[in-house]
Amino acid sequence: MAEEMKKYLKQLLSKVDNLLCILITDRDGVPILKAVNEKCPELAMRPNFLTTFAMATDQSSKLGQGRNKTIICMYSSYQVIQMNKLPLILNFVATADCNTGHILSLEPLIEPLLGGLKGAVIES
Amino acid sequence: MGCCWGSCKEDSASQGGDASERTHLLVDPVSNNTPAQRANSDDFISRYPNSVPKKTDEQSALSRILQETATNVIDVAALDSHNLEQHEYKERTKQYQQRLMQGSGQRWNLSSPSLLVDIPMPEKVLAALPLSYADMDLISTTVLHANMALDELKVEHKEDLVVPFRIP
Repeated sequence: MAEEMKKYLKQLLSKVDNLLCILITDRDGVPILKAVNEKCPELAMRPNFLTTFAMATDQSSKLGQGRNKTIICMYSSYQVIQMNKLPLILNFVATADCNTGHILSLEPLIEPLLGGLKGAVIES
Repeated sequence: MGCCWGSCKEDSASQGGDASERTHLLVDPVSNNTPAQRANSDDFISRYPNSVPKKTDEQSALSRILQETATNVIDVAALDSHNLEQHEYKERTKQYQQRLMQGSGQRWNLSSPSLLVDIPMPEKVLAALPLSYADMDLISTTVLHANMALDELKVEHKEDLVVPFRIP
């Protein structure tokens, strides 16, 4: 089953131009499933970078605009999109010129995977 | 003044035992509240300094307020991520891999985005009788008639479009 899921994620990765990595992690940034392009920067996949999202989404949910769902960070060379699917976090890393809307449209396609993965997560 | 009168009226109504349109359905929240329930109101405490609420109630109320405030406050300085130890990280990654391999009965169903669906025996569908000429004729004439009827729709206005209201 894991292989099937990986294959599916790889397919999705190849669907979007300049999308470098799709990473499904738990809230501590430990990867559960990933599809990575060789051009993906190693730093963007480190747990201490990924785990900041879990806190940021918690805190930004207090701003009185409802629960935070997605945080998009644009850098000069890369963009990082993280989605709140707690206990899972959905991470996308892409180049700065990648179509952000295109990445966001992958969400409903990845959604069916998450149900099965949530069971595998260790709650800390 | 109006408020005063209202409460007097209510008192007399409740004394008389008659329910009228002025009788409050809810019991007056101020006069019937015990001090313990209002412990979190500074206003109340300043007004009634002698009636100190029970210690435990006050403590729990205060701790509840503190907890609520703590959850609502965005304290950036306190946002210190607890990073996982390297061995813990590796261990957990391994654990996740194992669980994924086991699958543990979890299914993931992909709803196929394509509209075309496979048909097990296409011969049957292909060999089905075509639509009869009579039916086709009926459909085309009906559509034709409907179209003609739509074309002939016209608005006949008999009255003025602008009507002045006779306001005295």
